[in-house]
Amino acid sequence: MAQIVLKEVVKRFGPHVAVKGVNLQVRDGEFLIMVGPSGCGKTTTLNMISGLERPTSGEIVIGGQMVNDLEPGERGLGMVFQDLALFPHLTVYENIAFGLRVKKVPEAELDRRVRAAAEAMHIAPLLAKRPAQCSGGESQRVALARTIVTNPSVFLMDEPLSSLDAKLRVDMRTELKRLHERLKSTFVYVTHDQAEAMTMADRIVVMSRGVVEQIGGPLDIYRKPATQFVAGFFGTPTMNFLSGEIEARDGGLAFASQSLREPLGDALPADLAGRRIVLGVRSEHVEVGRGKTPGRVQLIEPLGNESLVFFEFGGDAPLVAKVDAETRLRPGDNLTFGFNPAGYHVFDAQSGARLN
Amino acid sequence: MSAVAGMTRAEAERAGARNVRRRRWRVVLRHAALIAWVAVIMFPIYWMIATSFKEKHEWVAWPPHWIPHDPTIKNYSQIFAFDVQESGVAREATEQPFNVWGPLVDSLLICTLSALVALLLGTFLAYSISRFNVGGRHFRHAILMIRMVPPIVIAIPLLMYYAIMIPLATETVLGTRILLFDTRLGVSAIYIATTLPFVIWMMLTFIEEVPYTLEHAARMMGAGRMYTLRRVVLPLVASGMVVTFLFVFILNWAEFLLALTLTHPDVVTLPVLLNKFQSASEGRLFGPQAAIGTLITIPVVILGVLIQKHLIKGFSFGTIRK
Ligand SMILES: Nc1ncnc2c1ncn2[C@@H]1O[C@H](COP(=O)(O)OP(=O)(O)OP(=O)(O)O)[C@@H](O)[C@H]1O
Ligand SMILES: [Mg+2]
Repeated sequence: MAQIVLKEVVKRFGPHVAVKGVNLQVRDGEFLIMVGPSGCGKTTTLNMISGLERPTSGEIVIGGQMVNDLEPGERGLGMVFQDLALFPHLTVYENIAFGLRVKKVPEAELDRRVRAAAEAMHIAPLLAKRPAQCSGGESQRVALARTIVTNPSVFLMDEPLSSLDAKLRVDMRTELKRLHERLKSTFVYVTHDQAEAMTMADRIVVMSRGVVEQIGGPLDIYRKPATQFVAGFFGTPTMNFLSGEIEARDGGLAFASQSLREPLGDALPADLAGRRIVLGVRSEHVEVGRGKTPGRVQLIEPLGNESLVFFEFGGDAPLVAKVDAETRLRPGDNLTFGFNPAGYHVFDAQSGARLN
Repeated sequence: MSAVAGMTRAEAERAGARNVRRRRWRVVLRHAALIAWVAVIMFPIYWMIATSFKEKHEWVAWPPHWIPHDPTIKNYSQIFAFDVQESGVAREATEQPFNVWGPLVDSLLICTLSALVALLLGTFLAYSISRFNVGGRHFRHAILMIRMVPPIVIAIPLLMYYAIMIPLATETVLGTRILLFDTRLGVSAIYIATTLPFVIWMMLTFIEEVPYTLEHAARMMGAGRMYTLRRVVLPLVASGMVVTFLFVFILNWAEFLLALTLTHPDVVTLPVLLNKFQSASEGRLFGPQAAIGTLITIPVVILGVLIQKHLIKGFSFGTIRK
C-alpha cells in the first residue's frame, strides 16, 4: 500500500510562500505528474513528500502513516534527481549498490540485486565505469537502476529527463512508462514540460504559484481546463485568447469584443450577461475559410501533416489556426474565418475560472 | 568593408610583417623582464646554497666568492653531527651545539600534528558553515579577519597566558598544571588556532563545490549524516584536503615569531634554530646557517610542487559535471 495524501500542505521560505496549501491524493500504483511553470513549487512539494524539506504546516501521509517527522530514508521512497546526483567518485556498480550498502545487505545478495537492476536498465556493460564516462542517456539509466534496486513502493522523479536531448527524451518517456507498468509502483513525477505530462501521466496535477490549479486525466485537462492558466499551459500552439464581454442577444448569449461578435450557443447560464470574460479557442477549432470574419495572413508554420496559420483580424493579438497542409496560403493573403462553438472555453476575466 | 580595404597586396603584406615583428619584440621584452625578475628573486637562494658549501674564510670574503672555491660539506656534517660533544667540527666553531636533529624532529612533529588537527577541525567546521549556515551569513568572512591581527600583537599577551595564566588556572581547577610554554603541545596549539581560519576558508571553497543533491540522494537511500560525509563528501574533497594540509604545513614550517616567543630552551623549531647562529667569539656562523636554510627550503619546494599538482585537481575535481 503506497497511497500518498497531502493535507493543506504549506511551505514557507522566510517571507516567501512557495507552496500555499496543497491537497492531493496519490493513488496506489498510479503515474502522477506534477506540472507547472518554473518556480511554481513542484520541487518543493516533491521534496516534502520525500522528506528532504519539512512542511511549514499541513500533513503528509504515506500508506496510512503520518510521515512529517520521518527521515527521508525511512519512508520507503526512491528518488531520481534532476541532475541525477550520481556519485562521481564511485563506479556505476557502487552507485547502484550504495543504498544496499547503507542497509548492510549481505554481499552475495547485493551483487545479485545490483546485476539484476543493471540488467533491467540495459547498463550491465557499464558497471565498471565512472559516471563521468557515461553518456547522458546511460547516466539516466544508472540513476534509475540505483533507484529501482532498493524496491521502493513509490518513485519520486524531479525532471529526470530535462538534461537529455529531444530525441532521447522521447525515447526515455516510453521506457519510463514501460518501467511503471512492469513495477506497478506509484510514480510521482515532476516536469515543466506539458507534452511529457500529457504522454505519460495517468493523472496530472497542474500547479501555478504554489497552488494546485487542476487535477485530472490528460484528456480532461486538455478538453476541460479548469482555469485560463491551465488552458494556456497545455497544448501547442498555445490556445487563442480573446478578451471581451458577454452580451444577451436574440434570446441567447454572445461574445462581443471590438472586432468580433460570436454567438456562444447555450452552454452558459443566462445570468452571465454583461460579464467580462476571456474566450479561449484552440487552433484546431479556428476554421479558416468557413466563417465570414475577414483576416490577413501573417505567418505560416508548416508542421508536415498540417500547418499553423497566424493571422491578424483587428483584435489585440493575432490568432492561430491549424489547417490542412495542402491549403495554399501565403503571408499577406486575405482569408475569412469562424469558430467551432464546440471548442469554446469561457473564463472569467478576473479570476480566470472556467464558466462553461 | 574592412579597414585594410584599398591597400595593395604588397602593402598588406608589409603591414602584416610589421605586426609580426612588433609582436616578437613584445615577447622578447616580456621574457627579458621576467628573467631579470627571476634572477633577483633566486639570487639569495643561490647564495644561501653556495654558502652552505663554503669554508669559513669564504663566508664573508671580499670580493665575494660567487662560487665556492674549495667546496666542502663541513657545514652539513656539523649540523647533522649525532654526537655534538665529541665532534671536532662543532667545538671548533663554537661551544654551543647547533645540531639539527632535535629541532628537525620538533618541527616535523609540531607542523604535522598541528596541520592534521587544524585540517580535521576546519573541514568539519567548513562543512557545517556551508550546510547549516553555522555562525550566520557573514561568519565565513569574519573568520578571515582573525588573520588581520599581526602576530606580534598577540605574541606577548599569549606568552603571559602560556607561562602563567594557563598553568595557574589548570592547577587550581584540575589539580594538574598544564604546561604550554616551551612544549610541543603549546606550539602546536597556537599553530592550530592561527591556521584554522585558512583551513576553513579553503575547505569551504572545496565543500561548496559538492552539490547538495549528492547528499540528498544519499539521504534518500537511508544514509545518515556521518555515513554521507565519509562515503560521499570527504572522498570528493580529498584532493582539497591534501592541498590545504600542505599549505598549512608550509605556513607552520616557516613560522618564526610565535615559536621564538613561546619556547626556550627545550623546544626549538628550525626557524628558531636558524636564528641562533651567532657566537660571541666567531661572529655569525654563516656556513651552518646556510646549510640549515637550505635544509628548511627543500621540503617547501617539494610541497609547493605537490600543491600545484593537486590544486588543479582540487578545485575542479575533474569528475563533477555541473
Ligand atoms: N531553499 C529555498 N530557500 C528559499 N526559497 C526557495 C528555496 N527553495 C525554493 N524556493 C523558492 O520557492 C519557489 C518554488 O521553488 P521550486 O524549486 O519548488 O520550484 P519548481 O516548481 O521546482 O521550479 P523549477 O521548474 O524551476 O524547478 C521558488 O520561488 C523558489 O525561489
Ligand atoms: Mg524544480
